[in-house]
Amino acid sequence: MVFWFGELILRLVGWIAAVLILGAVAVLVGLRFALILWVGVGLGFTLERLGFGFAGPWRRLIRERDGRGVVAQCWAIGLVAIAIQPMIASSDSLVGAIGPVSLSMAAAALVFGFAMQIVLGCGSGTLVNAGSGNWVALVALPAFCIGSFLGSLWVPRMVASTPHVPVDLGAVFGVSGGLAVTLFGLAVLAICVYRFSTVKGFNRRWMWAATMMAAFAIAHVAIAGQPWGVVYGLGLWVAKVSVALGWDPSVSIFWSAPVNARALSNSVLTDTTSLTSIGLIAGAAFASFKVVKGQPLLPALPGSLYLWIVLAGLALGISSRLAFGCNVGALFSGIASGSLHGWVWLVFGFVGSIYGVRAREQLWAGVRS
Amino acid sequence: MRHHAIAGLLLLGLVLIGLDWQATPPDPYGAPDPLAWGSNQGASGALCSFSPSQ
Repeated sequence: MVFWFGELILRLVGWIAAVLILGAVAVLVGLRFALILWVGVGLGFTLERLGFGFAGPWRRLIRERDGRGVVAQCWAIGLVAIAIQPMIASSDSLVGAIGPVSLSMAAAALVFGFAMQIVLGCGSGTLVNAGSGNWVALVALPAFCIGSFLGSLWVPRMVASTPHVPVDLGAVFGVSGGLAVTLFGLAVLAICVYRFSTVKGFNRRWMWAATMMAAFAIAHVAIAGQPWGVVYGLGLWVAKVSVALGWDPSVSIFWSAPVNARALSNSVLTDTTSLTSIGLIAGAAFASFKVVKGQPLLPALPGSLYLWIVLAGLALGISSRLAFGCNVGALFSGIASGSLHGWVWLVFGFVGSIYGVRAREQLWAGVRS
Repeated sequence: MRHHAIAGLLLLGLVLIGLDWQATPPDPYGAPDPLAWGSNQGASGALCSFSPSQ
């Protein structure tokens, strides 16, 4: 009875604290920013509580021929595309995640797909895993942030060195044509995965998670005016720390561009991707705090593996900037926005993941022996 | 223990946000409309897909 009462009090205090923090953000920063933070918390809570994401389903498809998670991803992207492509086309205040296609972008997606299987966490996955107290993600996350900053310094050079062509399917085929091409592509992908999969049927929990994720992503576009992204905020955090340490952002083409210079000189609580990323961590923490209570923090891993985890974290950050987004900003939001670069990211990211899954098995096999 | 790591991470996040708040305090009076959709105060444009036009 006392234990039950204590649990209830703890849960009540948690909810009151969450509401107070979000209320404080609404009053002291702005209602839009509080709503974006809510979206991030909802995404983090959903992904952690329902065990859904991007790296895991790809890994299960590659290792176990279980395609149910990837089919759920297609469902989520399709739902978001149906909602946001007409929304963006009908409103000047909304923008899509339209990135350019290029050789360096494709190579970067390949590297990201490889690295995300090493740490078993993509853009959103690393944040959610860190929020749930996963030690590997806690080691990889700072490196991911530093990598994102380094990538932002290199991306203008990459753009200048090779042709970068943004292709907006909505602009090429019209709004309904672009949406039809997007949905047709997703349907073909889902059918191919379903036929390849040896585990038939649908996982109701993942389908529910995918539906929730889609709802939050649509709300994100309506509130923030742009699709859900992750890596921009991570690079911004390191850029802000660098400025505090004396770095001059005017030497960087990326950080002296007006939109990025504005983000650098404003509060991190007014940056959209920072807010959703903070929310992802907080939501995952809220969802997992009780579940992981009593679990040990440090897995028995050798020091050399930590070097691999840090290198993979750096690679995640650098490659996601050069690929114009991670699995969220480029794959999920890119495809949903009707950007061709999202599809190119999907192909190269998946090929990278195939090699990443093999590499991870070799690394972890060494640990077991 | 993992729940200690979670508490530590959240605390670190609050400290960093507090330091950022001191350096660049937000201006709630300059905040945009709650919804970008239907407003003339749209997206910030600070997102992952940095394109050659930026």
